[in-house]
Amino acid sequence: MSKIMTVDVLSSIKGAQPSEAVNKLFDVIKNAQPTNNNSFNNNHNNAVSLNDLREDVVIESTTLEKQIIKENFPKEKNGYLVVSKIIEE
Amino acid sequence: MDSQIRKIHQQLVSKQISCVDLIQEKLNLLKKNSYNSVNSLLDNTALEAAIKVDTKIANNETIGLLEGIPFGIKDVYMVQGTYTTASSDLLKNYKSAYTATAIQKLLDAGAIPIVKENCDSFGHGSSSENTIFGAVKNANNPNLVGGGSSGGSAVNVAKDYTVFSIGGDTGGSVRQPAGYNSVYGLKPTYGRISRYGLMAYASSTDCVGPIAKSVEDIRIVLNVMSGKDIKDQTTYASSEISEENILNTNTIKTVGYFKNFIESDAINTQIKSDFLAAIEKIKAKCIEVKVLDFFESDTLVSTYYTLAMAETASNLSRLDGSNYGDRVDNKNLKESYAITRSEKFSEETKRRIVGGNQVLSQGFSDEIYLKGLALRDSISENFEKDFEEVDIIISPVTPNTPPKIGDSLKDPLAMYLSDAYTVGFSLGQLPTLTVPQGTKTGLQITAAKNNDELVLKFANFLKDTI
Repeated sequence: MSKIMTVDVLSSIKGAQPSEAVNKLFDVIKNAQPTNNNSFNNNHNNAVSLNDLREDVVIESTTLEKQIIKENFPKEKNGYLVVSKIIEE
Repeated sequence: MDSQIRKIHQQLVSKQISCVDLIQEKLNLLKKNSYNSVNSLLDNTALEAAIKVDTKIANNETIGLLEGIPFGIKDVYMVQGTYTTASSDLLKNYKSAYTATAIQKLLDAGAIPIVKENCDSFGHGSSSENTIFGAVKNANNPNLVGGGSSGGSAVNVAKDYTVFSIGGDTGGSVRQPAGYNSVYGLKPTYGRISRYGLMAYASSTDCVGPIAKSVEDIRIVLNVMSGKDIKDQTTYASSEISEENILNTNTIKTVGYFKNFIESDAINTQIKSDFLAAIEKIKAKCIEVKVLDFFESDTLVSTYYTLAMAETASNLSRLDGSNYGDRVDNKNLKESYAITRSEKFSEETKRRIVGGNQVLSQGFSDEIYLKGLALRDSISENFEKDFEEVDIIISPVTPNTPPKIGDSLKDPLAMYLSDAYTVGFSLGQLPTLTVPQGTKTGLQITAAKNNDELVLKFANFLKDTI
């Protein structure tokens, strides 16, 4: 796990480099002084109450939904998704 | 009130126009696509729906207020069976398998979607130039940008191609194009409308937002789309906003504005003087106006983009060409992912994904991402204090008038900074409405969280004041 991953690997984008415009935005953050250092989102807590969780049930997709999902597969053979070759590492 | 929806509803009910003719007329206008506002037309389904409305009217059945009203949808919303491209190369052939909750509610009310609208790819932009469908042209001057990211939606409303359109606002993407094209655009309180079926950009600020030509139409559409949804657990239950309540405007006593927005060197002198003139007119109505302190614009923009990029890097990691989207095959799966994403994402989208992965990676997250979150908390605290002092905050929508088509893509930093006045309210998750008044790119009206009603009320007040 000590392997250093560069942004192109992390982003899965060939030859990706940090951009100068975006780095300028980050420099502003580095130099900014928040009035508190608590980063746990106290003021905009959107967490759901345990009493309000949705039921853990399986909802069957409609036939039309299933058909469209299959249509969206880039490649399909006998109902299975086709990939080039799995990652071997 | 000058509601387009009510006017057309009356014309349909009194048989002055047929729904089929109405829909056909709008489709004909959209078909020309003179402003590059159209990604795809929903002509067949729209005309089928119109026939049903006409049959009901012919049989003297009652029709609902939204029944038969043609509307547009930013091409980031799922509508079952329609292409949902996010204006991107990667998803140019993607068909929605299901329908977004907000859109389903409009369909249930009988409104008829006629067009999927052009926008910046995945919402990544402030000009609607980052799209495979051609830059959206401004409704007032086609040499200028339509604004973004919901540019196509704002232009369609401004040109009367749609009666209203549903945009999406993450950092200003409804309010800024509404301002650029002189129409109304609302970013409701975060969580008021379900995000289920809205393609995620930055989940903690993504909002569904209506664009229309009157406060009343915004109110009607907002009421229909609002409400708790089990499929988006950040939603909350809200009560309906009545027409009567927002017409009674004499409850607003104090208004504030941010001094540093107006004293900034970056603001256009005309926008500044028009804004200050609007403030004087408000004062003349015996409303107390307070000058408020706020964070510097560059801090707001940097905080917003840091968090939005981190969230979009995560949200868009699913787009690798394996389950859906165009895939470019290579020697193995990992290479296929990388090649697909390199070739199919736009430069701006890649810039944001890379930026997001930068701030989320070890060694940078404490210094940038976590600090960004802390800054966001400070910004929210600041708003909470402000709303103890004032009922409403008003601000310009943009520091400048719309740029020429082509200019924003050359200078991404300038484009990010042009969002200076909109992103703060997104971080605060506050309800904010653009009204086409006051300055050349309009005014923003903001109230405390969950107080969308007050925003609409103040908009009615401004209509008669400036």
